[in-house]
Amino acid sequence: MAQLLGFGAHLPEQVLDNAALAAEFGVDPAWILHACGIETRRVAAAEETVVDLAEGAARVCLERCGLAAAELGGIVVGTGTPQRQFPGVSASLQQRLGAVGIPAFDIHLASVGGFFALATAVELCRSYGPILVVGAERMSRVMAREPRIKETAILFGDGAGACIVAPGEGPLSVVDIRMQSDGTFADQLSLESDGPLAMDGRTVILQANRKLRQSIGELLARNGLTAAEVDLWLFHQANLNLLRQVGKGLGIAEDRVYVNLARYGNTSAASLFIAAAEAQAEGRFRSGHAVLAAFGAGMGWGSALVKVR
Amino acid sequence: MDIRLAVRDAIQNIAQEPLPDDDSGSLFSEGVIDSFGLVELVSELEHVLGVKVPDDELIPSRFETVDKIVAYFQARA
Repeated sequence: MAQLLGFGAHLPEQVLDNAALAAEFGVDPAWILHACGIETRRVAAAEETVVDLAEGAARVCLERCGLAAAELGGIVVGTGTPQRQFPGVSASLQQRLGAVGIPAFDIHLASVGGFFALATAVELCRSYGPILVVGAERMSRVMAREPRIKETAILFGDGAGACIVAPGEGPLSVVDIRMQSDGTFADQLSLESDGPLAMDGRTVILQANRKLRQSIGELLARNGLTAAEVDLWLFHQANLNLLRQVGKGLGIAEDRVYVNLARYGNTSAASLFIAAAEAQAEGRFRSGHAVLAAFGAGMGWGSALVKVR
Repeated sequence: MDIRLAVRDAIQNIAQEPLPDDDSGSLFSEGVIDSFGLVELVSELEHVLGVKVPDDELIPSRFETVDKIVAYFQARA
């Protein structure tokens, strides 16, 4: 058994709204809102790196959990936008936190990176103790590459989220967690070293809807629960239309799904923990069950059941 | 069951634009269904026609025109 001690988030200050993107692409701002449910995104300053974002979220998370960096047993960072090939964001983060001597590594996945890092930490914490898990992305660096395409440029934002996973039971116990991958459609959502993001939106939506519903359906069945018995749903904040469609397919009441997509856009690997941090700060983790789920490039996906007490 | 009729009915229920008269016309480029409409359409046709589309066959081009959709489901009926 593993538990989530708490969450943290860090968002850059600069705000990019739909009016600016609409002007650039010659579309109506209402079209952007209709297409993805996003109103604003955060964009890192020129000198702000993905490590800066990761560090910000990590420090907030450590403080909220009342833990010192020296007490960590490991660091796992999920990111699709590291600033260099190697070593990873985790190495720089470890250096800044001064938590040397513990394992620190990246999981180089985008939207599902935070979730895969979480699932890895659930296993790792049994041997190493509390694991700092971070999802961090500087998507604006990728989005700046030419040619800029409106369908992707409107979606993404920068940010970081963090979580600490520790062994044992607690107020947020991870009852079940599973990650899955299928490389059949790997090329339909991909990023070459210096190229623009390549996304076949129709394939991604078809696969995401199918895989998320399957994963969550199996998760609930394994644990003898129905969707109606889950009090809080935390998804990777990909696109509001996708969240609604998955929710509708599973029979989830909309008011139980935590959504902050309108404010931050799709922050890829960071989004799940940013949402969790805000949900926790707002007291949304109430006694019962919560489900966390994500889908992303790879394709990779997964879901987790958390018992809340 | 008339698969073509079922396909056209399902599209009509989801369509954002009138269905083209030509069954070989692209439902995507004509704006008849978007990405999310495509998910609904596949789900609805699986239900109505009793055919499960395997994950690796969930490829948008298979469902781009009425003709292609009909051919796909006829082959699996």
